[in-house]
Amino acid sequence: MTFPDIMIILARGAGYTILVTIASVSAGLAAGLFLSVLGTLRWKAVSFFLGAYTYVFRSIPVLVLLFLVFFGLPGLGIRISPFVSIVLTLGLISGAYLAEIFRGAMAGVGQDEILAAEASGMNRMQVFLYIIFPQMFRMSIPGMINEFTTVLKYTPFAYTVGIPEIMKEAMSLAVMTLRGLEIYLALGIIYFIIYRLFVMLFMTLEKKYRIPGLAPE
Amino acid sequence: MALIQVRNLVKKFDGRDVLKGVSIDLYKGQAKVLMGTSGCGKSTLLRCLNLLVQPTSGQVIFKGEDITLPGVDVRKVRGEIGFVFQHFALYRHLTVEENVTLGLRKIKKIKSREASEKASYELNRVGMFEHRNKYPAQLSGGQKQRAAIVRALAMDPDVLFLDEPTSALDPQMSREVVTVINRLFLDNITMFCVTHDAFLAKYISDSIVFMDDGVIVAEDIAERLFYESADPRIKQFFMSVADHR
Repeated sequence: MTFPDIMIILARGAGYTILVTIASVSAGLAAGLFLSVLGTLRWKAVSFFLGAYTYVFRSIPVLVLLFLVFFGLPGLGIRISPFVSIVLTLGLISGAYLAEIFRGAMAGVGQDEILAAEASGMNRMQVFLYIIFPQMFRMSIPGMINEFTTVLKYTPFAYTVGIPEIMKEAMSLAVMTLRGLEIYLALGIIYFIIYRLFVMLFMTLEKKYRIPGLAPE
Repeated sequence: MALIQVRNLVKKFDGRDVLKGVSIDLYKGQAKVLMGTSGCGKSTLLRCLNLLVQPTSGQVIFKGEDITLPGVDVRKVRGEIGFVFQHFALYRHLTVEENVTLGLRKIKKIKSREASEKASYELNRVGMFEHRNKYPAQLSGGQKQRAAIVRALAMDPDVLFLDEPTSALDPQMSREVVTVINRLFLDNITMFCVTHDAFLAKYISDSIVFMDDGVIVAEDIAERLFYESADPRIKQFFMSVADHR
């Protein structure tokens, strides 16, 4: 078995890695956005909940939370698939980080612009949709790239609940062939390629939505 | 009947009286300028009139309706009052044209094409048509303020409020904006403008209201107020403004 053969075999498992990453980041984006919008309400109970959520999910190790979801929830009669378990776990964790990223970006939106939108007769939803969100999204892209990278690096945990992603494929192959060096080197290269592809995608997005005259061209 | 009638308006911030029973009328087609020392309550008064700031007591009667009463559709009222801010407050992620059309499309529910035509027409009137595809960060201060004026005017408001429209500009850019506002004055656009700029006040007003410490001290035409007032507060204010210029 040559090195390219190893690369091809592992690349087949890359589909799951990409799927888990995209699904987890999407769940994280939804959770982060929801939490950051909730934070704008400035209610004491909500602020406490948000603080607690961020604190808890940023401090629990990924594997502990994943096992809690996959092996723990059935004890309460809740059975969820391995795929949903990893997406839920990574989504909850990245949601906590993304909420902070969105919160910071939201604070960067000019108060005078919000006031001008209110003065023109927009309601709160319109102000959010047309003034706050488009700017918040643009300002969050660098933070989102970071968070995406983190989620990608967490995806190997998916093998612990039986998802046949790239890490699991690599481990099986290493056991069968005893060529650990080449296999894990190929694995690293594939992760790097996936990472680069996604970073290029995000950079294209950032460039497309860059505000002329405001950020460096 | 006046377009806006303000009766005994009071605003307190943290127990401090910022407005102490202000009464004033603004008629359709009239241009009034509000002047006074910093912190005398001018901007607060302007913001109370479209409820960006909620008055503590008193009445603001807009088109015959007391808008301080509960149940009033505040957003509808605001949609009928154009507001121009000191620091422009343009939406920085939108081009000049998009800044103008956003309110038309989302608040007035005008179709994109019509909104765009309206924006082009209004931008052309103030010499901003060629800058329609630029973003706020690519404009000079004077251009930003002209765009902000067009954004407010495009909504066809019953009255245009201007809060220190030239304060953030250097003298040359200030002249650009004064020229535009003067044209609105000559077109009989109803305006209520807060400013320290005596030059602007003189060229865009039917009358000037002078405020001090939360109360209206005097109201008169520019020449009489500038040169003939016997009130020491008014004299001192206009002397300091003249020195500053």
